[in-house]
Amino acid sequence: MVELAAEKHVRYIITVEKVSYSIRKLTCCPDPLPQYLQKKDAFESVVMEHLRMNGAYWGLTTLDLLGKLHVVDQDEVISWVMECQHESGGFAGNIGHDPHILYTLSAVQVLALFDKLNMLDIEKSVLEGQISAFLVHDDLILIHRAEKNYALGLRSTLTLYSDIASLQNEDGSFSGDMWGEVDTRFSYIAICCLSLLHQLDKIDVEKAVNYIVRCKNLDGGFGATPGGESHAGQIFCCVGALAITGSLHHVDKDLLGWWLCERQVKSGGLNGRPEKLPDVCYSWWVLSSLIMIDRVHWIDREKLIKFILDCQDLEQGGISDRPDDAVDVFHTYFGVAGLSLLEYPGVKAIDPAYALPVDVVNRILLPHD
Amino acid sequence: MAKEGLLCSEEEAYDLLDQLEHILDHDPLIDEVGFIHPSHLLVLNKEADATLVSSDIQELDARMSSELSKCAAPKGKKAFFWNKDHKLGVSTAYLLPLYKAVKHKFMEALAIYKMHSGSSFMNENLPGNVAFSKLENEVMRHSRALLLLSSDFGTAWNARKAVISNKEDFSHSVELLVSALVLSFAPKSENAWSHRRWVIKRIASRCDTLEEILDKESKLVEKIAERFLWRQERILTTCVPPLQKSKMNYRAWNHRCWLISYMSSRQVLLELDTSRYWAALHVADSSCFHYRRKLMLQMLADASEQQDAVACSSQLRSVRKFWKDELDWNEMLIRRYIGREALWLHRRFLSVGWVKHFGANEQNPNGEGEVNNHVKVFMDYELSLLQDCLNVPESEFEDVQSQVIHAASYMLRLNWEICSSSGINLNQKRRISDLRELLNRLCPEKSILGGDIIYYASP
Ligand SMILES: [Zn+2]
Repeated sequence: MVELAAEKHVRYIITVEKVSYSIRKLTCCPDPLPQYLQKKDAFESVVMEHLRMNGAYWGLTTLDLLGKLHVVDQDEVISWVMECQHESGGFAGNIGHDPHILYTLSAVQVLALFDKLNMLDIEKSVLEGQISAFLVHDDLILIHRAEKNYALGLRSTLTLYSDIASLQNEDGSFSGDMWGEVDTRFSYIAICCLSLLHQLDKIDVEKAVNYIVRCKNLDGGFGATPGGESHAGQIFCCVGALAITGSLHHVDKDLLGWWLCERQVKSGGLNGRPEKLPDVCYSWWVLSSLIMIDRVHWIDREKLIKFILDCQDLEQGGISDRPDDAVDVFHTYFGVAGLSLLEYPGVKAIDPAYALPVDVVNRILLPHD
Repeated sequence: MAKEGLLCSEEEAYDLLDQLEHILDHDPLIDEVGFIHPSHLLVLNKEADATLVSSDIQELDARMSSELSKCAAPKGKKAFFWNKDHKLGVSTAYLLPLYKAVKHKFMEALAIYKMHSGSSFMNENLPGNVAFSKLENEVMRHSRALLLLSSDFGTAWNARKAVISNKEDFSHSVELLVSALVLSFAPKSENAWSHRRWVIKRIASRCDTLEEILDKESKLVEKIAERFLWRQERILTTCVPPLQKSKMNYRAWNHRCWLISYMSSRQVLLELDTSRYWAALHVADSSCFHYRRKLMLQMLADASEQQDAVACSSQLRSVRKFWKDELDWNEMLIRRYIGREALWLHRRFLSVGWVKHFGANEQNPNGEGEVNNHVKVFMDYELSLLQDCLNVPESEFEDVQSQVIHAASYMLRLNWEICSSSGINLNQKRRISDLRELLNRLCPEKSILGGDIIYYASP
């Protein structure tokens, strides 16, 4: 069996990140493009600029899982991420675009990878320090000024939490942005973000859980809205949200496990719905759900590992959706993440609910002294 | 990609954008866009020129046709666009500069629009209003062109929503056309589908009946779900091009499922009726069968919610009859189209639902024995269907093998969902273990179906 070409994948991700970095630095005016963009897929990469935030998360998490996060310029990435934050508190997919909860999650995850969630309330902590220092010196004027700044700083940081919370609807569901589209993916994102920020109490968790349960189908799976068709991606979101909120008792584990393990096809790969071709990205969605409901032993792990490894580009690096297709960052991430769930040697463990390396999640969630 | 490459001057790019927006303004009924290789575009335009010259009979608007030929050949030879019968072809040669030009224009217009919206500028005297509506038009014009090049550019969709929200008299049908146009080349565009829902919700809040709209939406979903695109080349698809051939479009069918909540009982029946023909032509489209399942559950709910007892039981009787017909129809399809997972999954739903909702024979509503007898008759019938499907000579053909696998797992599933829960002993122990063995042999990766689940999951 071929092995994981980890070094090649790292190199591939770094190249793509460099290209993307140049793309996101391109202003709106059509300057002459750098040389490497004058190739066939240049247009395709440029028109993806609106979801750069997701791309950053996929690429950087892959690097971290392969133990190579340190090779990127952390300050550069973080300052770009913070530039994407909208005044409402949410994040955009790139500078100058509208915010959407899909990008907010990626931004929070990227900050979490670098242990920089405090960027979201940096002013708060700095100012808190200042106030206590001034208190010691009993300097009332300075305290007053610091308190004023503190209030301002707090307001800008609290907007992220309140922005996410404000997207919750009467029925417990979540909208993706102010325009009101509803989807269980947004429920997951809101719950995952707020949990990472220790702010789950900002939303009505019970209502959120009830809405997700309403999206359960008779086949055991979950859809985007009540009545929507079961889809492995939506199932991951619903099961993940239920796992984070400690509500997995709402899942019929055997029924859902049956549906999920029927996604494995002859080649060993997993598909996302009946009658579909297998695809590396479902290694993540199906597998993480199976782990969360404790049914991962219902699929053939060895065959799945082989399928993922067969999707590698052994020369240029990167992983594709199916053997011999073109590679991309999205499938590279899901391939590596899938191998991580399968405990492949040399890949860091990933948390099936938060979609972040386990050590990152522990750092954030485990109580520290 | 053409040798002339992607480079063209800034000025040329803006000129191209002008032409594109001009075409879109002058032919508001364009309903399909495709991206065409320059050499092919040249051929298409030559044909078009020929017909233009030879057909005075067509009485094309003279101004229009001269505009068009100007668009088609701005520098005499090179062609960038092709426009005929409300179809638009765009050359793949200069997409990148065109995209950058339109994005620049759009972002600029949006920034100015945002600066002035919400300010007194829009509400005051008439000249101000005129200027503001000009700003709105700019945003609408550039966002439309931008979305043709980047269908999931969320900020552009949002800008349209913002403009429309401020206009009382806006024609929503225009907006449905724009999103349908984007879906014509990007059928999976999440933003385009979501934009439709936003528009439909607005329409629904203003008028009582959506019947006509719902009907149109259903047809659109079917059209998109089965579309074989007319264009020669499609370089715009940035996400999962290989799946393009697969007709199952989750977003499209999701949209249709979403519409159910707006339907009257009468429309639910109508939809069941019309989608049946489509489903029979696309037996591998699991999404379409899911849609039918949702409609059937809605029909059942509508019947059960009837206040009047007589009406309720008569409606339930017709649901029962419908359910039985669906079972028969599904069996016919299963026998005709070998090895279709979608059909077998549909049967799981139908069988479990049949036993659950109609298992207690109406004539014998009391007596457990009677119920079980009824269920047993049903299960016996299913076993004979299974037997027929297993009694095929072993074959290397994949669909024959799949038929055996799906039939066997179907039976294991019924055994699990119906028999274990209703306490029926099928006396089929031997048969069940045979099925398990069979599955183990045919698809070892599904070891769970061959073994554990029966023991593990049985209550
Ligand atoms: Zn994929």
